[in-house]
Amino acid sequence: MPEAATSALWLSIRVSLLATLADALVGIPLAYLLAKRRFWGRQALDVLVMLPLVLPPTVTGYYLIVLLGRRGWLGGPLYRLTGWSLPFTWYAAVVAAAVMALPLLVRPARAAIESVNPDLERAAFVLGRSEWRTALEVTLPLARRGIVAGLVLAFARALGEFGATLMLAGNIPGRTTTVPLAIYTAVSTGEAAEARVLVLVLTTLSCAVVVLASRLGSRL
Amino acid sequence: MIEVRLQKTLPGFALDVAWAADDEVVTLFGPSGAGKSLTLQCLAGLTRPDAARVVVNGRVFDDTVAGVHLPPQARHLGYVFQGYALFPHLTVAENVAFGLRDRPAPERRRRTTEILAQLGLEDLAPRDPRALSGGQQQRVALGRAIAPDPAVLLLDEPLSALDAPLRRQLRAELRSLIVGLRRTVVLVTHDLAEAYQLGDRLVLYESGRVVQAGPKAEVLGRPGSEAVARLIGLRNVVRGTVVKSAADRIEIAWRGHTVEAVNSPTAPFVAPPGTTVAFMVRPEHVRLIRKDRAGLDPAHHMNLLRGTVVEAIDHGTSWTLLFRIASPGPASQGAYDLEIEVPQLVYEILDIARDREWGVSMHRGALQVLAGV
Repeated sequence: MPEAATSALWLSIRVSLLATLADALVGIPLAYLLAKRRFWGRQALDVLVMLPLVLPPTVTGYYLIVLLGRRGWLGGPLYRLTGWSLPFTWYAAVVAAAVMALPLLVRPARAAIESVNPDLERAAFVLGRSEWRTALEVTLPLARRGIVAGLVLAFARALGEFGATLMLAGNIPGRTTTVPLAIYTAVSTGEAAEARVLVLVLTTLSCAVVVLASRLGSRL
Repeated sequence: MIEVRLQKTLPGFALDVAWAADDEVVTLFGPSGAGKSLTLQCLAGLTRPDAARVVVNGRVFDDTVAGVHLPPQARHLGYVFQGYALFPHLTVAENVAFGLRDRPAPERRRRTTEILAQLGLEDLAPRDPRALSGGQQQRVALGRAIAPDPAVLLLDEPLSALDAPLRRQLRAELRSLIVGLRRTVVLVTHDLAEAYQLGDRLVLYESGRVVQAGPKAEVLGRPGSEAVARLIGLRNVVRGTVVKSAADRIEIAWRGHTVEAVNSPTAPFVAPPGTTVAFMVRPEHVRLIRKDRAGLDPAHHMNLLRGTVVEAIDHGTSWTLLFRIASPGPASQGAYDLEIEVPQLVYEILDIARDREWGVSMHRGALQVLAGV
């Protein structure tokens, strides 16, 4: 395998793992909140999280630039304070992948949390558990199938992320060129052999993830 | 000792109840949707009432006026949920130990072992609760609820998840278990047999209100109104009009006859003639008059009525006869006026299967006046 392809593969795996980790940290509490609490702006938050699922990835990428770019709402102040900006770093690829993959975790996780029999949570309350302890000891363990399924989907989605990554992180070989971007580059520059290898690698990896997920799912 | 006053308005439903009980088994009985389960949820702090005063053994759980509303965690109650709500990701022993988290590990183990032994669950300790039978699950749920030694135990339809034969068998077992706790037990049921057998005190619910409350024998023996009589499943609750009423006797016009009843010794029903009055007679107190014995003894044949058995229902060891009085006009209970209970043997000897025309009598003491309508 050519060196460029190897580096793209490792970058893809690293980006996808980190994006999935970030989604777990943000998405599981978010799913719990959306499932359990009634608060002002809940509907809006719900729509916001789901938006990357329905918008073209380039549009999501555009919004991310508006938010995080060197002159963005958050990116601007950050740049002025530290002289560092996110776009065109490999972190940008992580952020793009995480945002795109988030709804794929939140949806099944939320459904799983909502399907936990509320009497089980009430039983935990009556037996002295706070809501926080109840979530950790009862709700989340019982929703684990849905959460794991969501994490696997999110990882797979992050692995295949293209549009938003291209917008926010660019296509810098060795720095932000993930496998899907490398495939695009290879095809557009006529490197048919490299494209074939990468397509095969990504297909194999995705299949492995799906198989792993179903194995894991049946054991939980 | 528990003292309960609750008000809670939901869309299309209003709960407004008050009752109290000592260390005894209180049964909240009533049809589905009467507010019984909602009462339990309010007692446990799982639902916040609009206005309430709940005091358990001197501890104030709710007092809206004083702004007190304890969360469920601070009430230390036992709660057996309908369907049991056992934690499916924990073993039987872990379920029982769930409420003992604050105790030191050795004490927790000791108490768990003790409860498992008390309920005959030792062999099931490492099992997945989902693999247990309904009766075993019920005991695990009970064990989990009583392990932390709660002052009050709440049970929501504890037997409704079980099959009918098992339910009958477990009723007695559950009764001896909860009586052995010597605690206030509040039990919700819509099954009359459970209410009869499990409770000491009955609180009758209907449409979010308490229609009657008191010791079981008192409520069942002397229903305070026609609604209560129907609620507790009494049969032959019918209406007539007052002909003449006095403190000891009352005469009632019913289906073209005048029947005589003993008035209630505690709360006699005295009203002007023409007033509508509800009364009842238990099906086993209506007597068929044997045709093979000549001469009527007036002392034993009061309230004589003639009519037809329009239907006979076989219960195996006894029969229910649906009897229509031979008078014009609509019958009191749809197609018939009275239900009559006769043993199988009597049914055979009198040949009721073929002979449907009968005279019946009711002793005046068997007719129970249920006050006005």
